[in-house]
Amino acid sequence: MKRPLVLFTVFYCSGILLGNLKRFNFWVIIGLALTILCCINIFLKKNRIFLILTSVLTIVAGILSLENYRRVPSSHINNFIGYKSNSLYCLKGFVDSDIETKNNYSEFIFRPEEMRLEKLGWGCCGKVLIRTDCLKDLNYGENLMLIGKLSRPNANVSGYKNYLMRQGIYLTMQIKDLRQVIRLTGKSGNPFLRFSRWLRNKSEAVISSNLEDIPASILSAMILGQRRNIPWLVNDSMVKTGTVHILVVSGFNVGIVAFISNLLLKILRIPRRPRLIFTIICLLIYCFVTGASNPVIRATIMGVIFLCSYFFKREPDIYISLSLAALIILIVNPQQLFDIGFQLSFASVLAIVFVYPRLKNLFGGIFSKIKILQFIYDSSLVSFSAWLGTSGIIMLNFRILSPITVLANILIVPLATLITLAGFTLVLSGAFCPFLTNLFSFPASMLINLLLVLNTKLAKLPFAYFSF
Amino acid sequence: MLDFTPEEKKIILFLLYLGFCGLILSNLIKAWPQTKKLVYPGVELAKVNLNKIGLEEIKRLSLIPPKITRQIIEYRKVHQRFTSLEELKNIKGIGPKRYEKLRSIFFIE
Repeated sequence: MKRPLVLFTVFYCSGILLGNLKRFNFWVIIGLALTILCCINIFLKKNRIFLILTSVLTIVAGILSLENYRRVPSSHINNFIGYKSNSLYCLKGFVDSDIETKNNYSEFIFRPEEMRLEKLGWGCCGKVLIRTDCLKDLNYGENLMLIGKLSRPNANVSGYKNYLMRQGIYLTMQIKDLRQVIRLTGKSGNPFLRFSRWLRNKSEAVISSNLEDIPASILSAMILGQRRNIPWLVNDSMVKTGTVHILVVSGFNVGIVAFISNLLLKILRIPRRPRLIFTIICLLIYCFVTGASNPVIRATIMGVIFLCSYFFKREPDIYISLSLAALIILIVNPQQLFDIGFQLSFASVLAIVFVYPRLKNLFGGIFSKIKILQFIYDSSLVSFSAWLGTSGIIMLNFRILSPITVLANILIVPLATLITLAGFTLVLSGAFCPFLTNLFSFPASMLINLLLVLNTKLAKLPFAYFSF
Repeated sequence: MLDFTPEEKKIILFLLYLGFCGLILSNLIKAWPQTKKLVYPGVELAKVNLNKIGLEEIKRLSLIPPKITRQIIEYRKVHQRFTSLEELKNIKGIGPKRYEKLRSIFFIE
């Protein structure tokens, strides 16, 4: 078999799907897995049976992995709270996320390490979503003591409840008064994550101090993955034209980071091997700076695999790197398989990798003599392939079909590429030569302006999109 | 000399283009302030003009219940136009939370 990892990833995903459809007894699955393992040992020399058994074992691993993720440890905060609890709890822990501000309230994830109820106190773990309208100046890793009622997410809003559960959040707390919060000394959390967030805040400061509100919000989303300030209308019109993916950090950004770090190190005359290692470190830092969302993790893993293949002088394989990226994400959190971001990210890449070469072969090099026409033709095929791969998921989840997507992407993706490059130049100039930032901000702002005008015009075309 | 690959040369060229583009735009804005429109996106690209939007368009936004949508249009008819977004608070059904949401969507001109 040429690519066994691809097959195992498919079986692992099937296991997760199966585990989601039906809940299996944990001990039965463990017994089944052990039996299969014994059988594999017996049939080690018979290739076909070995392959069948390992495939079944991978399915079982998928079921077990999901079951394991759903089970919370005995000290999990969820185990101490009744279904309807009106008691006032005192939680001691640290801020484990950024502060997301929506309208006039803020949200953040809190990791409790100790909880108290009246005079009783005990150690605990887990995550609690804190919603507040008075606390705003918080940072990742800050130690806090919070007093309030713990409640479960609204069961009527099933999509939201499931979304929180996928992140391992089962409880929420409202903070309406500053007297409910006691700030403690010291910092907790991962120092690497703290550094990544510091780097992101610095980059955001460079963008917001050099650009006006609207271009700054778009550039922050495109290169730092910070979408909180994107105006609703911009987001809505990009959803309608099927170009909202440009507001998400993706493989292209990861490629730029790899290229820039490699170039800088080359200028500094660093030898090839240390240069590759340092580029990998830069990619990992960038992944955390942008919030480590699914598309970025996928692109980072694929990028690291490609760099490693150069390191070990092996031929990189896109299908294997894509499978490995999916497998790593799903081993860490199997529930990500049901996340729309994960599905769209992998479906689009898979469609481009699989459908695009076939379409190109089918139609041949029609415009091979005229370079610009060939470029437009290739872009159309890539865009059409990605649209084919993602339109089903988009129709199911967002109830929108956008025939304009192919045309919009042909026009907008090259523009977004230029904006991303200009954005990276702006941020880097902010770090290395701040006197140039003002100069670089003008072209970036002009390109964003052009992007918005173009997108608005495309969304207003007749039959651009159908919502149902 | 540093031996740059063709790709690296393209990046250096891109930086030069970007720098010159910035210089030209900066000079243009100083000489003809009206060219600002070329560089900075207008508010109408990111927000909806509350004094111009029609009933069907608000409905299509599917952000506000139809009853409140009708009340907004009626309020505009009675008062000719909205003079500030704060006036939205006078409409029954628009509380502080909804107002905050609408404030980020509409603008007044």
